[in-house]
Amino acid sequence: MLLGTRWRDALVRTVRRIIASAVAVAFGLAFAALPAGAQQTRAEEVGKKQEEKAAVAAPYQPNRFEAIMLALEESFVSPPDGFFPAFDSVYSGGGFTLGAGYRNFFGRKAVWDVRGLYSIKNYKMGEFGIRTPWDNRGRWTIGFRTGWRDATQVGYYGVGNNTSQDDRANSRIQQGYGEIAASFRPSSWTRLHATSAYEEFKTEEGQGRAPSIETIYNQFDTPGLFSNPKYVHSVVTAAIDWRTSPGYTRKGGYYGVTFVDYTDVDDTFSFQRLDGELVQHLPILRETWVISLRARVQSTLDDNDVVPYFLLPQLGSGRTLRAYPTGRFRDRHALLTNAELRWIPSRVGLDMAIFYDAGKVAPRLEDLDFDGMNHNWGIGARFHGPTATVLRLEAAYGTDGWHLVFATSAAF
Amino acid sequence: MMRRSHLFGVKGSSGSHAGPVILALGLSFAAALAAQRAPKFYPDDPLQREPDTQDASKVQEWEIGLTPDLVLNLFTKPGDLATNVRAQNINTIDEVPDSNWFTNRILARTVSVDEITRGPNTIEGPAPGKWTLLRPKSAGVSPGFTVRDEKGVVWFVTFDPDGYPVAPTAVIMVATKLFWALGYYQVESYLTSIRPENVEIAETATIRAHGKRRPFTRADLDEVFDRAHRSPDGSYRAVAGRGLPGRPVGGFKYYGTRPDDPNDVVPHEHRRELRALQVFGAWTNLVDMKAGNTLDTVVEDNGRSVVRHYLQDVGSTFGTGALAPRDGDEGHEYLYEGGPTAKRLFTLGLYIRPWQTMDYEEHPEIGKFEGDEFDPEQWRPRVPIAALRHVRPDDMFWAARRVMAFTDEQIRAAVSTGGYTDPAAEKLLADVLIKRRDKIGRVYYSKINPLVSFALDESGVLTFENVSVGAGFGDAPKQGYQAVWSRFDNATHEATPIGSPTTSAGERLQAPSDLPRNDGVFVKVSVQAVEPPHPAWAQPVDVYFTRTGGAWKLVGLERLADGAAAPAAPSK
Repeated sequence: MLLGTRWRDALVRTVRRIIASAVAVAFGLAFAALPAGAQQTRAEEVGKKQEEKAAVAAPYQPNRFEAIMLALEESFVSPPDGFFPAFDSVYSGGGFTLGAGYRNFFGRKAVWDVRGLYSIKNYKMGEFGIRTPWDNRGRWTIGFRTGWRDATQVGYYGVGNNTSQDDRANSRIQQGYGEIAASFRPSSWTRLHATSAYEEFKTEEGQGRAPSIETIYNQFDTPGLFSNPKYVHSVVTAAIDWRTSPGYTRKGGYYGVTFVDYTDVDDTFSFQRLDGELVQHLPILRETWVISLRARVQSTLDDNDVVPYFLLPQLGSGRTLRAYPTGRFRDRHALLTNAELRWIPSRVGLDMAIFYDAGKVAPRLEDLDFDGMNHNWGIGARFHGPTATVLRLEAAYGTDGWHLVFATSAAF
Repeated sequence: MMRRSHLFGVKGSSGSHAGPVILALGLSFAAALAAQRAPKFYPDDPLQREPDTQDASKVQEWEIGLTPDLVLNLFTKPGDLATNVRAQNINTIDEVPDSNWFTNRILARTVSVDEITRGPNTIEGPAPGKWTLLRPKSAGVSPGFTVRDEKGVVWFVTFDPDGYPVAPTAVIMVATKLFWALGYYQVESYLTSIRPENVEIAETATIRAHGKRRPFTRADLDEVFDRAHRSPDGSYRAVAGRGLPGRPVGGFKYYGTRPDDPNDVVPHEHRRELRALQVFGAWTNLVDMKAGNTLDTVVEDNGRSVVRHYLQDVGSTFGTGALAPRDGDEGHEYLYEGGPTAKRLFTLGLYIRPWQTMDYEEHPEIGKFEGDEFDPEQWRPRVPIAALRHVRPDDMFWAARRVMAFTDEQIRAAVSTGGYTDPAAEKLLADVLIKRRDKIGRVYYSKINPLVSFALDESGVLTFENVSVGAGFGDAPKQGYQAVWSRFDNATHEATPIGSPTTSAGERLQAPSDLPRNDGVFVKVSVQAVEPPHPAWAQPVDVYFTRTGGAWKLVGLERLADGAAAPAAPSK
């Protein structure tokens, strides 16, 4: 019985194959026997294909990917009116921050916007601004902004170059401000910039894990503790800048001098400061590597002026001493040096760097030497476009240990 | 077996076929029989002009976004994924017919130095006097705008950017001449200069910003001039590109076909003149190859609307970009390449590629452009281009012959139109182009059997020319050439040997005595080099002649069959 079934199945398969073969061959013969094609020339053959396409020709419809990319492309080059996501910082050390805003373009190139930001450390900010041109790319740039910000847990470690991370205390700094700013570019490589602002500071007990500032420090070791100064704050900068862009560059340099004036309305905490900064990017072997160097000095001009602790020159942050938290070292004068060896795995989007930062704060300008510098080293990756750093991820190691940096701007 | 659809008598490669084996065999049989019905050669072969038989007036303007075009080409492989596909717009003698894509000029005919100097230009440039600005420039990074001159001619004006004079406009002038001579549709381009006070703004001129249109103002115009390079006399050097005839409908992609153009039936990646940009691009360092630098227009041709295809912007060539000299990696590496990126990432940049140590004789008007270390096979544009991905040795040979057809004098004539202010710059550019031309010939003539100009005379003598030997690139084959002669059945495509193979030390081969001579007969001759200096020359070139009017006419030439593996790698 079993054998009979097998034989029967085999027979059925064989018959099916024969039928299939016959059908296929018959189909082939029938196909071959069709009258010869109508085309007698090559031109006719081509024409036939074009005629066939003409029957189905239809305008192109972009797919979803193309439509989205096109919209993004346009909004990047020339953003539209309306709501927008805001990526910025409320105050250095505020941690991951997100926000949203609304803007309206008017006139030839002007824009006004209003935006709000909030960080994971409960830092917050609201600001209204108006400027022209909107992309800051004109020979002249003029703007006004006013707003309020609240930094709830600003770290303070005392004044001086030898403070300890264990001495951290937090203070809360609130600031209302209104500022007008103007920039002028006399030539492609020269910059003039000036701002004048009215600022009201309010300092309070700090939030967060560290103790509040008043529990460790007092008004004798911490100038301006719980003071609420109101300033007319003016800044003037003159610079030579031949970098590709401040946001991302592999060559060029920046050499600038900035004069800062804080005039206290009550004349208690008025002071003036002079900052000098040199940045040089040295490409090596067709930008296979870039050595980037920076030196910056900040100096309070009059030894008799009292500078509130939160306005003292400070070191420590993702753009100064990168293994140290924001404001780790403060004093009346500060010296900062940075050196990076960058290599470029992908010229279109990825830089790597190993870096070394060293800096010092001092009570007197003559103490601002290279002895006793605080320093750190580290490694980082930067994802960038032609003129902007989109994301900078760095790990830095100093005497306080490891510190991670997440930033959306160039280090310098 | 299914046959790939080809246009001008060039048969395609096999495709895979799923399904029951028997049915497949049956269908193959049917297809084979069907194929027998189509002659290999039609009476009008070889086609000299690609026909456009359908009305294309309904073709609509489309926008090919810069970013999606870049992302798709950089990270995917758009277009046909099959490899080793023979170009599909060539005629039966392996040439590209004239079309609305391409016009045979250099090599196909004598092109005088005067013609090269004039290029696509048909008039003397913008009329002197005031220009009326019609609209701002909407594409590209260099400053510019669209104007109408006092004679009513529309011009696209492009300036040298501030701080980078001469080079960007000079490049447009020179490259336009070279690509015109190579056969591409080019924009008429004239070197000119303009003073801001001679530009008026049309009342209808608007600018699109932030999703809205607003009037274009004098301040906008000042901003354009602010970005342009001002000469000491207050004028601005510019290239005026004449408005193209017809209705612009956007660019073309280097893959697929335009869906609303009924005459566009050959996938662009299989068009030889587009594949050939691998070679022409290498010669001129045309790195910025993208849809955004092309333009299609609907024009009237013989009473019918057809689409004409322009390589509209060939200004990213030689050593110069639109705003600055080229970066060192351009022409050597795609914007993103995974392997080198990873190697550089993990070696702190110690993975060094040749371009990083290459020597350049840099001139501010030329930028980074050199010929001594140039390797045409290693050249690449900024992003992978589908048409270039499909290029084969026969395409590159076709292109190399055109590059090699430029004489030193013609190259220097084209370069002289750039308006370089320093004669040393002009000399440097021409010298480099000449060096690169020779390298292209040397490389691509060795990659495939380089025999051309086949003719069969009345006495049965087949003559041809080895272009590599003719160019002085090396020795002839030690044992000369061998030909296998066959009678060819145009209906069944079967070849029946005639006599024994014949051999010769030179570029003449005598046919066997029993060569048929009746009218309408087809003969196939397979010619190969014997003991050649390059292994690729041992692969025969198949040529086909038909007897017509008492004489032999060349009707077919096949240097590399569809789907056939490329010949053995040549020695460089």
